[in-house]
Amino acid sequence: MASRSHWGAWFPSLWVHPACVFGVAFLARVALVFYGVFQDRTLHVRYTDIDYQVFTDAARFVTQGRSPYLRATYRYTPLLAWLLTPNVYLSELFGKFLFISCDLLTAFLLYRLLLLKGLEQRQACGYCVFWLLNPLPMAVSSRGNADSIVASLVLMALYLIEKRLIVCASVFYGFAVHMKMYPVTYALPITLHLLPERDNEECHQSGHSFQAHLYAFLKRLCSRAVLSFVAVAGLTFFALSFGFYHKYGWEFVEHTYLYHLTRRDIRHNFSPYFYMLYLTAESKWSFPLGIAAFLPQFILLLAVSFTYYRDLVFCCFLHTYIFVTFNKVCTSQYFLWYLCLLPLVMPLVRMTWQRAVVLLMLWFIGQALWLAPAYVLEFQGKNTFLFIWLAGLFFLFINCSVLIQIISHYEKKPLTKRTKYD
Amino acid sequence: MKATCPEIILRQEVLKDGFHRDLLIKVKFGESTEDLQSCRLLIKQSIPTGLFVDPYELASMQEKNMTEAVVVSDNFNIEAPSYLSKESEVLISVRRDARCTGCFHAFLPVHYRYHRPHSEDAETLIVVSSPDLLMSCDQEFRVLECWAQAEVAAPCALKSQDICQWSSLQYRLIHKNVILRVPVGLTVHTSLVCSVTLLVTILCSTLILVAVCKYGNVSL
Repeated sequence: MASRSHWGAWFPSLWVHPACVFGVAFLARVALVFYGVFQDRTLHVRYTDIDYQVFTDAARFVTQGRSPYLRATYRYTPLLAWLLTPNVYLSELFGKFLFISCDLLTAFLLYRLLLLKGLEQRQACGYCVFWLLNPLPMAVSSRGNADSIVASLVLMALYLIEKRLIVCASVFYGFAVHMKMYPVTYALPITLHLLPERDNEECHQSGHSFQAHLYAFLKRLCSRAVLSFVAVAGLTFFALSFGFYHKYGWEFVEHTYLYHLTRRDIRHNFSPYFYMLYLTAESKWSFPLGIAAFLPQFILLLAVSFTYYRDLVFCCFLHTYIFVTFNKVCTSQYFLWYLCLLPLVMPLVRMTWQRAVVLLMLWFIGQALWLAPAYVLEFQGKNTFLFIWLAGLFFLFINCSVLIQIISHYEKKPLTKRTKYD
Repeated sequence: MKATCPEIILRQEVLKDGFHRDLLIKVKFGESTEDLQSCRLLIKQSIPTGLFVDPYELASMQEKNMTEAVVVSDNFNIEAPSYLSKESEVLISVRRDARCTGCFHAFLPVHYRYHRPHSEDAETLIVVSSPDLLMSCDQEFRVLECWAQAEVAAPCALKSQDICQWSSLQYRLIHKNVILRVPVGLTVHTSLVCSVTLLVTILCSTLILVAVCKYGNVSL
């Protein structure tokens, strides 16, 4: 059977207690934070992300009772500035420790979700290692990037939905959408996932008329789980929005929501649409092209929602991967949004490890091929726009290949110990 | 200018390559530098729309004692492209250069903004104008009367809000004004780029859609 060479097959041979792995991961992150302090003080190139400085400055404004939006380029929720006020009162490292903790919370939720799916402890731990000992999330959190907070909120919502604690899940989901807009795409798969199963009798009675089908669907939509999810998530989101709007005015709406929704960054980024949008930024085609760029994303998200909603985690992973790949703006920060769900998807994808490694290498090569001309443009001033554009298209192609491979090798039941090996 | 007036030479240089450059302004006084011990020098540099200066970067450089500069204009967007930006002004404090007598220098990191794409030229030019050289002395000097061409109001010290009267000095600019070349997109490529981009994205999304329909079961 092909499962012999499945990447999960060698986990049972390594046994380390999960607490050990989590402990090592925590120590590694703490070490990186202190290394960052050292590098910031000695080298000219700082380890800490520029965004962390933005958060701290905004938090300082908040401690003075003023608006965090006085800080230029602060395009986040005021909640983040509030959370980081101890940066000003206690130590500038507080925020980084908060992000590291959320990182570990993300890994813990991944572990619990994997156990819920029926995996054994050592297997679940093995898949979590992908996140815990992965240098990318380690570096990102220790540099002071706040994405781990959203990742942990999203995973908490997904975990609580699996445990059927819908109201709690909706609150976390509302917070997640408030902090970063991308989880809003999960609303459709979550709603479909919470729909009660179709009554067989209803199926026969309704016949084949479209109206009858629609009526039956709408009736299922009005189930308690769906209504409570929509109501509580909506209430949480709007309560936060109105509260902050009341305190900070239109600036809050502009920087927290509108900037991200209408963001048309014509500066170079991984998106395949970057050069097209840069060249047509001031022409009359700008708006129609924007819609043309939005349609593939929209149609694919709809198709994936209606196909995979029964496996919510897999559906959300595909959603975010498609969303990031086909987005008009794409920076490397966005990759973490779907990478945090990858450990949950890995047991479901029956792929040989050789194939997985090839796909991973291709993904890195795609980024490297983009980074090279981008570096030449930004730091050597040569006109490499065409190369950046072609590299962006090639990276899109690679991402699509990876997606198609994942979709074609997906099995509903994860590879657990109970599966017999030949 | 009187024949006995010593000359001031000013030179603008740009270091590094790419979108992030350093503007270095070197000033050399011909003579009488001993009298200038009690004087302060300031450069008022106008930053064209094609460039921007990051005030937060300046603040952190000030902490590391690398340079001292302040952006005078407010409300500018550091992410906007050049055609949506305004000119700004920066005041840079001038420091003594130990390498030669009567030499001073000022240093400012600047960054390119994105520019409008051009139909034929792969590069657009940014011209950096010559700065105003301002001097304020505690005592009266005859040589100052020689150089001064106008009175300008500026902060007494970059950190303070008090305004003093500074004298704008006449100088000779050696080498031409700094001209920076910014790479821009080429609009001749627009139809090719748009059509190929849309083609590839539609192709890729169709392939994914086919895979979803083939391997998944669409149901409700």
